[in-house]
Amino acid sequence: MMNAIRREEFGEVVVLHIGTPSVDGVSAAAIEAACADMRPITVLDFSDVSFINSSGISSLLKFVVTARKAGYKLFAMNVSPHHQKIFKMVEMSRFMPTIEERDLAIYR
Amino acid sequence: MERVEVHIPSNPIFERVVRASAGEIGEAFGFSVERIEDLKLAVSEAVNNAIEHGNKRETSKPVEVVFALDHEKLEVRISDHGAGVGTLDFSRHVVDERNLEDGMLRGFGSYLISALVDDCEVSSSQTGTVLTLRLYRKGQTQ
Repeated sequence: MMNAIRREEFGEVVVLHIGTPSVDGVSAAAIEAACADMRPITVLDFSDVSFINSSGISSLLKFVVTARKAGYKLFAMNVSPHHQKIFKMVEMSRFMPTIEERDLAIYR
Repeated sequence: MERVEVHIPSNPIFERVVRASAGEIGEAFGFSVERIEDLKLAVSEAVNNAIEHGNKRETSKPVEVVFALDHEKLEVRISDHGAGVGTLDFSRHVVDERNLEDGMLRGFGSYLISALVDDCEVSSSQTGTVLTLRLYRKGQTQ
């Protein structure tokens, strides 16, 4: 099985590239494990994600909870229009706003 | 009327089989890409409910999914063999500060189902629950 998360770190930033196309109940545990890799600025990259359901949303909320407890900033990157719609429906976007890849350039 | 039936054991990995089938059937029905994604997500939530809350992950109990297509709609019936449910809460459920503080990070599935399909109904007894989802061709807005 491919790695669920590929980690890329520079300074205070970590980009966690989600490597599984399905963010669901099957992949949830492997994704949640990456909460341990969070940094003061954490970006979840959804470029390889084609499906997210409510179990997947629950696993992503673990990152939200961890970020809030630690005072970290959490962003989402490369979110498809459909998933942006779903995040908006459940108001996930309030807690994990999207960021453009070019905005990370200042940290590199 | 055309029918496609998919039966899976109550193991979450096989939800992906039903979801893939929903995608193919939605495409065959002529739905837009966005509507197909809505269909896949609604079916995924319903099948996961059947596996988790209906059949309690007992793999000997199947989840049966019937896709029925006619000229005006696609109907999806998801059946489990659990002890039945009193009610399903389809009300709006979103992430908020209190949920996060309390660690209540689940429970979005039924709301997503009701928001993504044109109509849905539940029929439940002591021998199982049937959730019926309908997406109408005329409901296609994109």
